Amino acid sequence: MTFYQSQLHKVKSECYSNKEQLKTVKALRNYLENSYYDDLNLNTLSKKLFTSKYHLLRLFKKYYGQTPRQYLMDKRIEKSKQYLNQGMTVTDTCYAVGFESLGSFSTLFKSRTGKSPKAYQKEQFSRKKLE
Amino acid sequence: MRVTVISIPVRDQEVASKFYTEKLGFIIKKDAPLGGGNRWLTLVSKEAQDGPEILLEPAPNHFEPCKVFQNALKDAGIPWTQFDVDNVDDEYDRLLKVGVEFSVKPTEMGTVKFAVFDDTCGNNIQIVETL
Repeated sequence: MTFYQSQLHKVKSECYSNKEQLKTVKALRNYLENSYYDDLNLNTLSKKLFTSKYHLLRLFKKYYGQTPRQYLMDKRIEKSKQYLNQGMTVTDTCYAVGFESLGSFSTLFKSRTGKSPKAYQKEQFSRKKLE
Repeated sequence: MRVTVISIPVRDQEVASKFYTEKLGFIIKKDAPLGGGNRWLTLVSKEAQDGPEILLEPAPNHFEPCKVFQNALKDAGIPWTQFDVDNVDDEYDRLLKVGVEFSVKPTEMGTVKFAVFDDTCGNNIQIVETL
């Protein structure tokens, strides 16, 4: 066994031995992955997963290093890039990934990518033309 | 400041270029001569061509401490870096078929599944899937 493998065993037993907690956070991530365009409704989820809302938030942060909202925003930005690349308009993209206002979508998109959604789309299209 | 380049030390840039493009599937972004047979050789992921670049740098050939450090990590089984994949099992099967050797088979740990392979250029590389 290498040093790395022995360290993995140690981390596994110290940090990932609670199977119930893992099952709960994976279910929450699965929800975020598949329903990123919906409102994040932690009240419904906490009932479904038999876990209090605040405990759920803490658990998610503990295992994924991000809050569910941060995870959701990353997912939405990733999906919006995909839609913009496929030629969807900025407005349609905004609503397709679950934002309620164009302003909040554009602001977040620019803060994450350094470009507005329109500028990002233009850049992607001109790159494709060059290829 | 922006993160644009992540370097991976390699013993032979030509061998590394072939391994990382032909087996792993990255594409060459920049390839410029630097004198003495060295190159500024960077690669990007096919799916994220405007994402961070991997610099395959021949540092171990020119700076002994880099070689010592690289050897120590390799012997301990510690990955130099890691790449995200959608499905570790699929990637493991695909890479096995093209002759890539793994020191850690697909292993689930908490909220990730990972595997570690030999890049034939002096490094262990880990592939990771978030669960």
